[in-house]
Amino acid sequence: MPSATSLSITPPEGSTNAVMHLLLTPQSGPTQTVESWSVSTTGIGNAARFSDAFGNTVHLVNQARPEGDWVVSVTGVVNTIDRHGVLGRPSGEPVPAIYKRSTGLTKSPVTMWSKFRGSGESRLDILHGLMARVGEVLGDGNGGQAQSQGVDGQSQSQVSEAVAASAHDLTHSFIGAARALDIPARFVTGYVAASDDNEADFHAWAEAYDDDLGWIGFDCLLQMCPSERHVRLAAGLDAISTQPLRGAPDGDSMTLRKVSVEMVP
Amino acid sequence: MGDTTPFDEMYNADGSVREPYSALAQWLDEQPDKGLSLMSADAEAIFRRLGITFAVYGSDEGNEKLIPFDVIPRIISAMEWRRLSRGIEQRVRALNAFLYDIYHRQEILRAGRIPEKLILQNSAFCPEMMGLEPAKGVYAHIIGVDIVRTGPDEFYVLEDNLRTPSGVSYMLEDREAMMQLAPDLFQRCKVAPVETYPENLRRTLESVAPHNTSGAPTIAVLTPGIYNSAYFEHSFLADQMGAQLCEGPDLFVDGGRVYMRTTTGPERVDVIYRRIDDDYLDPLTFRSDSMLGVPGLFDAYRSGNVTLVNAPGTGIADDKAVYTYVPEIVEFYLGEKTLLNNVPTHNCVDSDERAWVFDNLQDLVVKEVHGSGGYGMLIGPTSSKALREEFKKRIEARPDNYIVQPTLALSTCPTFVRSGIAPRHVDLRPYVLIGDEVRITPGGLTRVALKKGSLVVNSSQGGGTKDTWVLEE
Repeated sequence: MPSATSLSITPPEGSTNAVMHLLLTPQSGPTQTVESWSVSTTGIGNAARFSDAFGNTVHLVNQARPEGDWVVSVTGVVNTIDRHGVLGRPSGEPVPAIYKRSTGLTKSPVTMWSKFRGSGESRLDILHGLMARVGEVLGDGNGGQAQSQGVDGQSQSQVSEAVAASAHDLTHSFIGAARALDIPARFVTGYVAASDDNEADFHAWAEAYDDDLGWIGFDCLLQMCPSERHVRLAAGLDAISTQPLRGAPDGDSMTLRKVSVEMVP
Repeated sequence: MGDTTPFDEMYNADGSVREPYSALAQWLDEQPDKGLSLMSADAEAIFRRLGITFAVYGSDEGNEKLIPFDVIPRIISAMEWRRLSRGIEQRVRALNAFLYDIYHRQEILRAGRIPEKLILQNSAFCPEMMGLEPAKGVYAHIIGVDIVRTGPDEFYVLEDNLRTPSGVSYMLEDREAMMQLAPDLFQRCKVAPVETYPENLRRTLESVAPHNTSGAPTIAVLTPGIYNSAYFEHSFLADQMGAQLCEGPDLFVDGGRVYMRTTTGPERVDVIYRRIDDDYLDPLTFRSDSMLGVPGLFDAYRSGNVTLVNAPGTGIADDKAVYTYVPEIVEFYLGEKTLLNNVPTHNCVDSDERAWVFDNLQDLVVKEVHGSGGYGMLIGPTSSKALREEFKKRIEARPDNYIVQPTLALSTCPTFVRSGIAPRHVDLRPYVLIGDEVRITPGGLTRVALKKGSLVVNSSQGGGTKDTWVLEE
């Protein structure tokens, strides 16, 4: 699928040395092959590119004296393969155990997961059951239509809430429940193409670890394992460690504006 | 332990002088009346001139205080020091191997030698460090190991400080002052030098510069600023090493590299001896409200373009709950038994153990797992009943937040107090540098509890310092 995204931030007026940490580069893996990808923004030529602790590709971009909007445009072509969400054990990743660490965002009430504790089911069945349970308790029942966005002029945190509030919440809840059951689980960002047209958007889902199959994706909002509609960008402990764009200095006037995402099947 | 008579480092039980102290004892005998009083007054003048002060948080008596200095040095024999330094070296090697493992394969957790939860759910564990390859494989380059003595051959490690241990400037200034105050005593004793510390620190820092450093590495000391209690030390060490003292805004990241602003333009920085806590290092990766750090610094570190000393996340190795596993850690990575013992430590999570702790609280010391500086502690023998009841409630509410240890009969050293020379309890913090090699400065900082009978040596709680002499053979 070809895709194009544009994001921007506006550093506070008069700031010097604004920096951006971009997690906007997908990697080829069992479920996708990156044909071409480019992240362009002022300063990208001088950016540091490296792998973070979770194996994601990061760009660290800086500008000495930013003025006005700082726009990041991302375009690329990714071939996706439907493997029913099974990623296996890609190399270059940290030990799965670290994804048992709970964070402030990954809390899940006991009622969400208690019925799975000590159940004789396989881990895979438990995880599918958990995805259904999270959907039941927190889903909006509309069959998992990714929310439409296009929010202008809001702060980063407001936007991330608006952009994928339900996907984030459901994913965090699933992750918290899995971790409470001693199953490594992580937060994944990416794009998802809607089923009815070519609109696509930022999305979030979970991956949980099975000792036999390795990492498996669970999209709690869409109630499915990631398919060829999903393009995977980055994984981490929660929505904060996987934010597609993080900037400093941070301020009220810092905005994240998404202009467009297109995907063609 | 168990014996409540503290070990006197100067006198044997029969009143005779222990061998390492013989020259000092003779020198003390020769001092005229008021000699030590005058010397103490001189010492105060020296320290005021040096400007060596510290801040006590929450104190109303102004910000800066002079840390009390005792004019009678503490003496450690060459043989005692050999034993201690071997034990310290073993410990710091094992702790660095542990850090490497925890931030890579986590073999020690897989082997079940340390409970996984204790590490993975620990606030001192830094997931952002996973997979990073620090220069020379070293995470903690500067370590201060707190040691107490309870007998002629009994030493215990109280805690390992792997974050940003402070106090080394006192060690250096105490020696400087002592050499001015009692030059004649130095002629009678062959004392191992400590003045090499800043040079050794510089060498250690240079040895862990990133691979892509061109020419001699540029070193910066990163301080939170003048309101930090150890600001004096930051500026002192920078000065002694010939390094730049910087605050966050003096540094910036460009193209994944770190630069400092200088009057002649930006200068690339290769190694940062940071005295800012992990949380405040970089608002982009850690606390976003930090005004002390440098945005992008951690990413520059991950890119391999700068070395942070100590590495973020080293606190997982000096966490008080992890401390109890140090003997396991030494055995797991080095295949050796620990040369230096831990203080036997109880946790309060187990209800039987907690009941035992409550029954014996008057004899025990209770510490907060993440506490430091002697704050939030209960010292059983000197505590009131009300305070002990208060601690029982606190422990009951959060049992995992506390560890409990026996009250150690800390050794005493002769100390000059108002009533003359009297024994006072001491501890010892040797400073270790780890880079291309392990460098341990002979001696370290001796802290002394100036109040009679007190076991709390922290400067924030009325403790003082002494010059520490390791005798050369």
